[in-house]
Amino acid sequence: MGALTKNTHRRKKRTFSEWIKSRDGQKVLVMVAFMVVPLILLAVFTYIPFGEMVNFSFYNMKYIGARKFVGLKNYAKVFSRDDCFGALKLSLYYMGGSVVQLSLALYLATLLSFKVKGGNLFKGFMFFPFLINGIAIGFIFKFFYTRGFVFDTVLQWCGFQLDNLPYWLKDRSINNISLVGTSVWRYFGQNMVLFIGAIMSVDNELYEAAMLDGANKFQQFKYIIMPSIKTIFVLNVILSISGSLSAFEPPYVITDGANGTGTYFVVMHEIAHTQQKVGLASAMAVVLLGIIFLVTIFQKLFFKYVFKDSTQ
Amino acid sequence: MKFKKLWALCLASVMTLSLVACGGNAASTTPANTDAEETTTEVAAAAEETEASEEVEGIPSYTDLDLSKYTDTTASIKFIHHKTDRAEDGTMDRMVSEFNSEFPNITVEMEAVTDYAEDALLRLSTKDWGDVMFIPAVDKVDLPEYFMPFDTLDKLSEKLNFVDSWEYEGNCYGIPYMANAQGVLYNKAVFEEAGIKELPKTPTEFLEDLKLIKDNTDAIPLYTNYAAGWTMGAWDAYIGIVSNGDNTYMNQKFVHTAEPFKDPGDDTGIYNLYRILFDAVANGLIEDDYTTTDWESCKGMLNRGEIGTMVLGSWAYAQMQEAGDTPENVGYMPFPMTVGGKQYVSAGGDYNYCINVASSDENKLAALIFVKWMVEKSNWCFNEGGYTVVKGGQNPDMYAAFDGCEVMSDQPSLAGEETLLNDMNAESELSFNAGGNDKVQRIVEAAATGSETLDDIYADWTKAWNDAQAELGISADY
Repeated sequence: MGALTKNTHRRKKRTFSEWIKSRDGQKVLVMVAFMVVPLILLAVFTYIPFGEMVNFSFYNMKYIGARKFVGLKNYAKVFSRDDCFGALKLSLYYMGGSVVQLSLALYLATLLSFKVKGGNLFKGFMFFPFLINGIAIGFIFKFFYTRGFVFDTVLQWCGFQLDNLPYWLKDRSINNISLVGTSVWRYFGQNMVLFIGAIMSVDNELYEAAMLDGANKFQQFKYIIMPSIKTIFVLNVILSISGSLSAFEPPYVITDGANGTGTYFVVMHEIAHTQQKVGLASAMAVVLLGIIFLVTIFQKLFFKYVFKDSTQ
Repeated sequence: MKFKKLWALCLASVMTLSLVACGGNAASTTPANTDAEETTTEVAAAAEETEASEEVEGIPSYTDLDLSKYTDTTASIKFIHHKTDRAEDGTMDRMVSEFNSEFPNITVEMEAVTDYAEDALLRLSTKDWGDVMFIPAVDKVDLPEYFMPFDTLDKLSEKLNFVDSWEYEGNCYGIPYMANAQGVLYNKAVFEEAGIKELPKTPTEFLEDLKLIKDNTDAIPLYTNYAAGWTMGAWDAYIGIVSNGDNTYMNQKFVHTAEPFKDPGDDTGIYNLYRILFDAVANGLIEDDYTTTDWESCKGMLNRGEIGTMVLGSWAYAQMQEAGDTPENVGYMPFPMTVGGKQYVSAGGDYNYCINVASSDENKLAALIFVKWMVEKSNWCFNEGGYTVVKGGQNPDMYAAFDGCEVMSDQPSLAGEETLLNDMNAESELSFNAGGNDKVQRIVEAAATGSETLDDIYADWTKAWNDAQAELGISADY
């Protein structure tokens, strides 16, 4: 190998071993050495499995046994079946939930970023649900919503009659809202902490200057806080929306996707694991990825336009 | 300068190491194969020396294996199973220590898997999952690829019941650890309080009795266990033998039936099986809020008499008895359906033991010894309230109500059609007896909300069934 590299590098008048000892060579070497491990991890655990999944989506296959190449038939099925795309309608509930979640988080973050008595305690309490495992939350809420259990009891303390209360998970007109409620409860604390972090970075002198100019709290929020946390806000919106397209844990654990609560992910899980149509489920996953891409790009453009307008 | 050289050397070695790590997987498979070959030849040589009259592999078949001759066998095997509850209460460990008192040199490592049906399939594809497992939902054609045959069906079925469910080309690949009879759980005290003198024999009688329970007691007449899901799929077990008295229906005729969900008009058939559920829900004979049922607490509720009936296999009987202070009130009755004046009971194996075909020969032998001991000497089947797997074995008292009923087990599918039912289940997505819980949940939802009639649902199922038959090219002969 030594002889070979000598020949190829002779023109530059520097052998490979000389180059590797030089400052440039060392730089490259260090970069490669540090990058190799994370890149391998990324490839092994993300890109290679993803490539495999895309490959699966062209086959009629089970986990084990023979596979049959069917081309784009699985994709055609995703678009023609009622249950696949019908499940996406449920995402609207979760998107509605994420609007509530983000406004609540933003409101509380703004309050808590000023001096509030026991502010840290509240932050802790509200962030706490995010630390609980999603499956555990599912079980908590299964009992929370059971007829005559926690939620109904609390409402009865407030003067409601049990007979007037709906069945939170049985009644199809509200069971999805009940489920979205659990996801809002879980994630708004995390959004709030992210917002607080961003608001903290705003220079205090700006508020003083604004106060001297006679700006009230709402104006301060609109013209100082909002523009400064724009990036983190957009990020949170994008994460919540793509999160609501791929909602899984609440319906899977609490209702097992039954009674009209099966979201796209739950349907996909059912098709992949119960019906063992791995190819079709993979195609569904790829289609969802496409949808999330589109939605994200659309949001990016939307915010670019809206925020340009408001900051001028 | 020296320091730099050292640094470069370190980096270079890190890089080489990571490359080696990448190639590791591919490289390690080859030596493993040669290992296996070596052991095969060694064992074959050993077999020749002892002049054992065995097959080529040197492992006797299940029926030829004489347990008393192998007490000094040495091996270490791994057994993965789904009985997490029995692992927790120490039953599994007790059985293995009993096994070890006879076979002290066979070490059995056990792992209880919670989400067994899914996990086992995934592990199966890796080939080195262990030596003994319970067969998950695989296609029959794939059996020889994954498992070692125990024996021929002819020889094995002389000794054991229910061994034909995992038969392929004349060989048996699975032996059930226990067998279940399909009936209905009920609380005797509730039935008495409701004024039910005789056990119901038809769906119509059953629905009347549920009404009596509702009117005369505080108990929930029929507990659906809707939320758990798999408990709803349990209704599929009554298709075939119970619903039409034909033990060739489930595995042979069902896939060839054009209209399996048609009402035969005499209170039998699949139509009236699910009609019980639909009518019970529509008439409010089930729990108040079916979406928040809880499997663990229903056991105690049945035991205490807060639940009248539950439609589940006999395996659940022991658990219901253990769950409260009044085990004597837990009863088990044949399914309320009478075909031609006779009640039929379907009995069949639960999960089946199987042995990894990729294990070494020593492990295969030890695994075979272990399975034979578990089936014939552990008494596990009897303790779980199971229908006996060993021919002529003792049955628990709970089956007393089954006197006078005809007990049958489903015949295996015809040669060349072994995979048809699985294919139909997957294609139609109805998944009968294969985790198709949502289709039964749909009946409950429809009956409760009035969104669909039972006939709408059956029409939909028939369409899915016929489409699948067309897609797979299966003839509709019946």
